[in-house]
This record gives sequence, C-alpha cells and structure tokens, in this order.
Amino acid sequence: MLVELLLAACLVGAVVTFVAPDRVAGKLALGISLLPLVGALYMYATFDGSGNALFGGATMFGENVAWLDLAGYQLSYHTGLDGLSLPLVVLSTVLIPLAILSAWTPIQSRQSQFYGLVLLMEASLIGVFSALDFFVWFVFWEAVLIPMYFLIGVWGGPRRKYAAIKFFVYTNVASLVMFIGFMTLVFALGDSVSSFGLPAVTQAIAAGNLGNVAGVAGSTIALVSFVLMFFGFAVKVPIVPLHTWLPDAHVEAPTPVSVLLAGVLLKMGTYALLRFNFTMLPGVAQDLAVFIALLGAASVIYGALLALAQQDLKRIVAYSSVSSMGYVILGLVAYTQYGLGGATFQMVAHGLISGLMFMCVGVVYNTTHTRMVGDMSGLASRMPYTVGALIAGAFAYMGLPLMAGFAGEFFIFRGSFASTVLPNNGMALITGVAMFGIVIVAGYLLFAMQRTLFGEFFSATEYDVREAAVHDVAPLFVLVLLIIALGTAPGIFFEMIWNASQPILDNVQSGGEAAVESLATVLGGVR
Amino acid sequence: MAGAFDFAPAIALLPFGSFLVALFLGQYMPKRGALAGIIATVGSLLLSAWVALTVAGGETYNEPVYTFVAMGENPIQFGLLLDQLSALMLVIVSLIAVLVHVFSLGYMNDEGETGLPRYYGELGLFTASMLAFVMSSNLLMAFMFFELVGLCSYLLIGFWFRRDGPPSAAKKAFLVTRFGDYFFLIGVVAVFATFGTAQFAGEESFPHLAELALSGEGQVTTMFGLGAEAWFTVVGLLILGGVMGKSAQFPFHTWLPDAMEGPTPVSALIHAATMVAAGVYLVARIYGFYALLPTALAVIALVGGFTALFAATMGVVKREIKQVLAYSTISQYGYIMLALGGGGYVAGVFHLTTHAVFKALLFLGAGSVIIAMHHNENMWDMGGLKDKMPVTYYAFLSGSLALAGIVPFSGFWSKDEVLYETLVHGIGTDGGLGVVLLLAYAMGLIAVFFTGFYTFRMVLLTFHGKPRSDTARNPHGVHWNVKGPLAVLGVLAATVGAINLVPVHALVGSVPEFLHDWLYYGPEMLNGHHYHELITAGEFGGMSAGELPGLGETGTLFASAGISLTVALAGSALAIALYRGDSPVEHTDRLGSAKTVLFNNYYQDEYQVWLAQGLTMNVARAADKFDQGVVDGVVNGVSSVSLFGGSRVRRIQTGIVSNYATLLTLGLVALLVGIGLMGGWF
Repeated sequence: MLVELLLAACLVGAVVTFVAPDRVAGKLALGISLLPLVGALYMYATFDGSGNALFGGATMFGENVAWLDLAGYQLSYHTGLDGLSLPLVVLSTVLIPLAILSAWTPIQSRQSQFYGLVLLMEASLIGVFSALDFFVWFVFWEAVLIPMYFLIGVWGGPRRKYAAIKFFVYTNVASLVMFIGFMTLVFALGDSVSSFGLPAVTQAIAAGNLGNVAGVAGSTIALVSFVLMFFGFAVKVPIVPLHTWLPDAHVEAPTPVSVLLAGVLLKMGTYALLRFNFTMLPGVAQDLAVFIALLGAASVIYGALLALAQQDLKRIVAYSSVSSMGYVILGLVAYTQYGLGGATFQMVAHGLISGLMFMCVGVVYNTTHTRMVGDMSGLASRMPYTVGALIAGAFAYMGLPLMAGFAGEFFIFRGSFASTVLPNNGMALITGVAMFGIVIVAGYLLFAMQRTLFGEFFSATEYDVREAAVHDVAPLFVLVLLIIALGTAPGIFFEMIWNASQPILDNVQSGGEAAVESLATVLGGVR
Repeated sequence: MAGAFDFAPAIALLPFGSFLVALFLGQYMPKRGALAGIIATVGSLLLSAWVALTVAGGETYNEPVYTFVAMGENPIQFGLLLDQLSALMLVIVSLIAVLVHVFSLGYMNDEGETGLPRYYGELGLFTASMLAFVMSSNLLMAFMFFELVGLCSYLLIGFWFRRDGPPSAAKKAFLVTRFGDYFFLIGVVAVFATFGTAQFAGEESFPHLAELALSGEGQVTTMFGLGAEAWFTVVGLLILGGVMGKSAQFPFHTWLPDAMEGPTPVSALIHAATMVAAGVYLVARIYGFYALLPTALAVIALVGGFTALFAATMGVVKREIKQVLAYSTISQYGYIMLALGGGGYVAGVFHLTTHAVFKALLFLGAGSVIIAMHHNENMWDMGGLKDKMPVTYYAFLSGSLALAGIVPFSGFWSKDEVLYETLVHGIGTDGGLGVVLLLAYAMGLIAVFFTGFYTFRMVLLTFHGKPRSDTARNPHGVHWNVKGPLAVLGVLAATVGAINLVPVHALVGSVPEFLHDWLYYGPEMLNGHHYHELITAGEFGGMSAGELPGLGETGTLFASAGISLTVALAGSALAIALYRGDSPVEHTDRLGSAKTVLFNNYYQDEYQVWLAQGLTMNVARAADKFDQGVVDGVVNGVSSVSLFGGSRVRRIQTGIVSNYATLLTLGLVALLVGIGLMGGWF
C-alpha cells in the first residue's frame, strides 16, 4: 500500500506542479518530492521482508489486485518490494529532491512543466522498481521514456532534438526487442503459467516447464529470449557497443536530468537484467558467461578509454558511467554472493556518485558557462566548496575506500574473481583485466581535475566566477555524506541485498543444472 | 580495568578528530588548527607508548572493533593487531607526526601561509590513516587505509594548488602508486579467493594457512592450475606491486622526487613515517607469508638492491637539497627491501626505524635551511650556513652521518645489519636464491659509496665554504618550533642505533640487542623467531646462513661491518676532497655523458610519461574516433537507412488524386488476379 501512496504522491504532485505558476514550481516540487522520500525512508526503517520477490519471498508495501483477463492470462496489478528493489526505490527518492534543488539555478523557463515532468518520472521509476507483474512493469518502464524525452528535448542544449530522438528511438527499439523476448518465454511456458506475474514466470521456469513449442526445443527458446532481453536491457545500461546514445543524451540534457539519467535510469537496465535474465534464466547466463563477462570487461576498459579522450567534463562523466556499469555486469554474471550483491550495491553507489559528479559539473557550468577542460583553470581558488565536493566525488569514482564506490567495486571484484562460471579461473582472469579500469579512471579524473581546478585562475568565458549559491552547493554535500555513510557502513543496504540474492543462487544450485546441460548440447560448439 | 588496548582505537581517532576540528574550526583557532593537531598527535604518542609498554609486558591484542560486512561465513571486520611490530611503528609514526606538527608552526604559520586549516586538517587525516594502517588486523583493512594514505599525500603534495608544479606532482604520485595498487587489489581479492580470509594473525590467518598448505597439512584453492607454492608466489608478487608503488621502488620510484613540491614538513612525514614507509611495513607485517616463498624473497631483495644503487647514483648530481634527499629516500627504502628479501626481518625493521628518525631529521633540517634561504632550494646558492644556524647544522650533521652509515651513528648499525644479513644468507644459500642475494648485496654495497658521497656533498655545499648568494649571507632566522624538533631528532639519530648493537653484542654478550629480542618474542607465528624458522626451513624459504671463508661467524660479522664502513668512508672522503674549501666548484662534467643520463634520471620519467600520454592517450583518441565513426556510425546508419526508406516510400504520397486512383485500380486488379489464381478461376 505504501508503494501506491508514493506513486499517488508523485502523480498528484506532478499535476499540481504542472498547473502551479513558474516562480513557485521549484520550491513546490521540492516540497512534494520530500513526501516520497519520507515514505521511502519509512519503508526502509520498517522493512523486514525476506527472500527474493521472484522466488516467493515475503515482499512488502505492495498490492496484488486482479485486473483483467487477456486470452487466458490473468493480468494483475502486483507490486511489492524486496531487498533488491527497496535500495533502488530509496536511491530514486533521494536523488529526485536533490536533482530538483540543483535545477533551481539552471532551469529558467517553463519551470512548472519541468518539475511536473520530473515528478512524473519519479512515479514511473518507483513503479519500475516495485512492479511484480510484467504488464504493470512494462507500462512503468515505457512511461519513464516520455518525461525523459521532453526533459532532454525541451530544456536541453543546442543538439537537444537529435539527442532526444536518438535516446527515445534507441531505447524504444530495445524495449520492443525485449518485449518479444519475454513474450516468447511466457508462451513457451504453455499452460504452466496463467499470468504474466514475474514470480509465476520465474518459478515456472525454475520448475523446468520450459517446453518445446512448434518443434523448437525449450532450451533454444530460452537462449533466444535471453539474447533478445539481454539486448533490450543492455541498451539501457548501456553495455558496449550499445552505448552511443548515452553521451549525446548526457551532453544535451540539462544537468538535473543528467543526474537522474545516470543516477537512476541506467540502473533500470541493470536491475532488469538482474530480475529477468540473471534470475529467470541462470542456465543460459552461465552458458553465455564468457561473452557476457567479456562485454562487461570491454565496457569497463573501453568506456574508461573513451572518457580519457574527452575534453568536455560532462562527456568524461558520461563515459565513466559506461565504465562503472561494466563492473555491474561482471558482478552479475559471476553468480556468487559477493558478485550479485556487489552488483546491486554498486547500482546504488554509482547512482549517488555519478549524481554527485554531474551536479558538480552542472554547478561549474552554471558559473563559468563552459564545460571544456581547456577553457578554465584554478577554479579551486574561486569556488572552494564546489571544488571540494568535486574532488570528493572524483575520489569516490576512483573507488577510494570508505566511500560507497569502493565497497561496491570490492564486493564485485571479490565475487567475480572467485567465480567458477568459467573453467580454468577464466572469471579471475577477466576480472583482473577489468580491474585495470581503476587505474584509467584515476588517470582521466586526475588529469581533468589538475587542469580545471588547480593552477592559476583562468576562464575563457566572460562570467564572474565565484562560489555558487547555498542551494546549489548543499545537495553536493548531502551526496558526499551519503556516499561516505554507505562506504563506511555498507551493511545499510548490503544486508538486505545479500538476503534477497541468496534465492537466486539457491535456484542455480538446485534447478539450474538440468537446463545448463540440455542447453550445452544445443549450443554445441559455441563454447 | 581498562588497559592500553581498550584505548588503542583512539590512537587513530584522535588525529582523525583533529582533522575535523582543524578543517571546520581551524580558521577560528589561534594557530589555525595546529594546536588541535599537536594535542591529538601527542595524545596518540602517549597512547602508543602505553601500548608499547603493555606489549613489552608480554600482552598482545588481535580483536575486531568494527564489522564492515556482517554476512557470509567470514564476516569482513576491521580489527586491531597490536604486537611488537605495530607497537614500534605506532611510536615512530606518532613521534614523527608530533614533531612535524610542531615544525609546521615554524614552516607554515610563521611564514604566513594561507589555507592552514586545510593543511592541518589534511595532516591530521594523514596521520590517522597511517596509524590505522599500522594497526590493521587484515589485508583488506590495510589496503583501505593504504589508499587513504595515498589520498592524503595527494592532497598534501598538491597543497599549493595555485601553482602549476604541485598539482601535477600530486597527480603523478597518486597515479603511479595507483598503478601499484591495481596489483595490490588483485592480490587482496586473490587472497580472499584462495584462503577465504585476509587475517594477518592467528590460526585462521592467511600466512598460517599458506604455511599449512605448503607443508602438506592443509588444503587451499589454488588458481590457474598452479601448484600451491607457485600460486602463492603470484599472490605475493601482486601484493608486492602495491608495496613497490608506495615505497617508491624501481620502476615505480618516479613519483617521489616530484613529490618534493609539497611543503617540506609534509615531505618529512611522507618519507620518514607514512606513505613510503607503509609499503615496506606491509612486507614486514605479512612476513610470515613472504618467508614461505623463496622466489618472492629473491624478487624483493633484487628490487631492493637495485633500487638502492640506482637511486643513489642519481642523488650525486642533484642541485636542490630536497632532490638529494628524495633520491636518498628511494635508495634507503631499497635497503629495507633488500633486508626483508635477504631474510633479515629484524634488520629491515631496524633500518625502517633508524631511517624514520634520520630522514625526518634531514627533511626538517632542509626545511630549516629553506626557511633561512627564503625558499631557495638550490645548494649552489647556499654555503657557509654552518655558523649562522648552528643548531640546524649539528642536527643535520648528525642525520647525515647516520645516512652515510658512519659509526657510531644510528644508520651505521642498521645499514650494516642489512648488508650483513644479505651477505651471510647469500653465501649460505644454495642455488639461484643465493646468487641473487649476493648480487643484491653487491649492489647494496656499491650504493653505500654513493650514499657517503652525495650525503657529504650535500653537507659541504649547504653549510660549509663561503656563502654563494646574498640570502646565504643574511639568512632568515628560525625559531624554537624549528630548532626543537631538530634537536630531538638530532640526538635520536645519533643514539637510536643503540637499540640493536649486533656487533657489540657479539663481542660483549652483556650488551643487549633490544630490537632483536623485542621482535623475536612476539605473538605466536608473528615473531622473528618463527620467521627465521620459515626462512631457513628447507620446504619454505630454504635459506641458510653462511660465513666468509676462514673467518667464522663473528669474523664475518666484523668483516662485513668493516667493508661497509670503509666504503662509506671512501665515498664521504671523495665528496670532502672534491667539495671542501671556500668556493667549491661543480665536478659533474667529469662524468662525461653519464652526467646527462643522471641529470635526466635515466630517462625513467620520459618513458613513463610516454606510456601515460604518448601511448594511452593515443589509444584513447583512436578508441574515441572508432566510437564516433564506427560504433555510432552504425547506429546512425541504421536510422539513415530507415529515414531514406521512409523518404522513398513517401514519394507515393503525392497528394494527386489521379495517381491515387491509378494505384487503387492497379491494386484492385492485382488483388483480383491473385484471388483468381488462388481460387483456380483460370
């Protein structure tokens, strides 16, 4: 029920904000966005769910209401939170008020529409992370795109149309492919499922009900739908080579939107990968582990190299997101406690850290009106607080211990290094290579910091550069504190994540074996 | 009753508190946060001394204090490991930290620097991180604070961020050590994957599990199809990557000379007791692991010996006083590595101790000179400072004699023991390891000559002769806050060798070897005795001590001491011969083409900059081009194709009614024909 209250607060708030006058919209939206935050924190404080929602674990705060019958399938409005989704709901509700606050300065036109769309997006995001029925989930999944499209297309930079359309078309095509993939899976389950409920589908697959359809073996269907869904979600993450919409979208999007894009939207992709591909079809995931792990490692290294080549601060941070999300993929495919848990933890950690970095870059841009590395230097002497937060964010990105990024990355490394999904310690080798990302990330961030923050003050633009307003700087320090808190006491989220990812591994150990074997015969020489 | 160990967390928490106080309240405080730092570090020093006394009473401590990850079979915990080694190091670190804080009053406050709350805050965090690192009870916790030490040195080296040099040097320091830490982090996860635990001490510690596995009494998961010993060696070398980065061992030494851009008190702290010391301390901390692995020991000894020589040769041509000290630091840490690799655990810790004292002294002495010289660091502009600043001179001289290894100053005793241990193990050990140790010994011995030379070249150019510039003729005075720490360290540098007078003990048995006894009777599996057994056991280290032919054990000891002292004196004498007199001149031209090579530091920077900028940046740019052109090109290509298709199809939509009528008719005909064919009308 609480989830629905949160959704209602966001939706009603969005409507109210839409009709409010522009000059109060920012403050109004901030106030409204505190409601879901309080709700989410209350849910966190009272959460005592156990297990994984897809394996019949005890979920909390949701509803399950029969909705309508469709060709023999029962559609339900089904929501609920478990240890994997609650951290992401908290992340969304934390980032939205901060993003709204950081929008006060840069957004100077049509404020009521801007903030209304942000609240609309918050509703969709909460929906994505809490829906447990495929149709409900899909509606929210697609609904995220609409506010995002307008937020980039209306308030964005000079090439906003191109970026918005590219973002929309790319991710929409991906959604279509993913939709086909999931539907294939459901129909191949035949009579063993009578709904699109995610738990029902998961448990039917785990029970081995994936049958032959029209002469096609169940294992082949599993492979096909895995690949289709993987493609669909990989675009969202994004995984190399499906990442090129991301830098364009980031560069053109206004800063608060970048914060949400990197902070929460990318996590939709990894969250969905975890829920669909890696939970429902562990056998296929393990068969394809070598490819998936290589894609993850490639995202890390290639993304980091691309970041190294950029001169635009926002592009640097955008590409480094590609790099960080690569670690998540590596953790997921490892199929170990630390791998799966670390991947989910890293989603939250990266959400906070990339949010912080984009906000810092945004404050710098609001002040200097440039984001190019060569256009400024010595900002530290003019805006010490912003620069302090930026340095903290950069070191968090580099994985400085006692900050959230290190905890996430270390868990992933520990989990994937010890993983046995590949023979001959292949995962350890791939992990070792991917870990070189921690050197490259230090390289590009330190170079960029040296050139922009230190040295004698210089600005190529004609603006008075001084410390930003309190409401610009405050959200930065809120994030810094959250990052340190999460890095010092990762158990805040890691404990519930750990408990909720356990059933996935149990399923792999018990039921997954048969599927793996039969698939291996189908694949033949792929390995 | 609460004992010293209950208060041990405060050793690190006090400076952490001073970090917060100085950073946020420093600007409202009389000395801009210095007092908070001094009070906190004095508190740490007192507590450390208390811990050391308790340890001396035979108690040790290894308990978790904070749970980082509670789940799983082996929860990840932060714990304190307080034994002989860590207690000694705590005292050293907190002592140097106190003196550096006091000295900073003279170097920073009195010189009118701005940004002091930030300075003292970072200094406090630096001290806190190092102390926490020293007390760490497991490898992960050690790694975490190791990284924080790296962060703090980044911040402090780059303290004067408005200039161009310091931020660049700070970046380089972090990046080069990060490169080493990459290997270290792989080592950490490999330790977890292999042993399931990263504890340093106890039955369930990874060195002990490794020992059991190698002696056939336990099982561990090795990886990549390697046998236990080969895999452990790989793990050990991975961890060594972090050590070599932080302790500035070849080829990761290049960051250290640049780090001289930081304030001089910071240089003293970094080089004597924190950042650089952290690396070798880690080797000593997990010596029970390395002692099992002869190949790893050989690598450590070889890297150490080579670095000692390599860095010492570069020190002989430098013009800036801090540059000489920088290369000397690299070289001296080479000796510590040499000792640890050569089976001399006590010798390594001994040299770590004496070096901490005399190198802190030399840096602070150099700081005093730099204050006097109005921040001109070029030794060729100095001269004759001896009479103007006697306290600095005599303290600096004490440190220099220790550095050069002249009897009876502290450096003599420790350096001699380093060389002696390596020599006897080199002679006594069969096979490749013995040869490697002898080679490393030879390099270490030659380095002694260069050490004596550059040390006395520095002393003579700085303090002797006639002043060579106006500032040297009228130097700026220094206050008690500079002279006090120098005096303390000057006395210590002369006397601290007394904690381990090995040759004297050999002659007069009643003279104790305090440090040897201290380290030999630590907790089970963490003491020098145990390490010695491992080093000499046939199935582990496989070393044994030999002696020079016909000299016996004592004879070898004195021969070794005599050789190294003679070499040190020879190097010193050459420097004195070349640079004495009122107006010394440069002799570097006599080196011929070697001079250019040495001035350019063997072109080490060039190739590393090329690796970072020439190679990596170009690969990155190529990747970017590829990404824009090919990867994104395909994406845009797909959309162009569909747009093109759309535009062609759109041509049908002409808006002319007769065209549509034609199409309708054609379509109807086609439909009819089709239906007809299917239905069999024809």
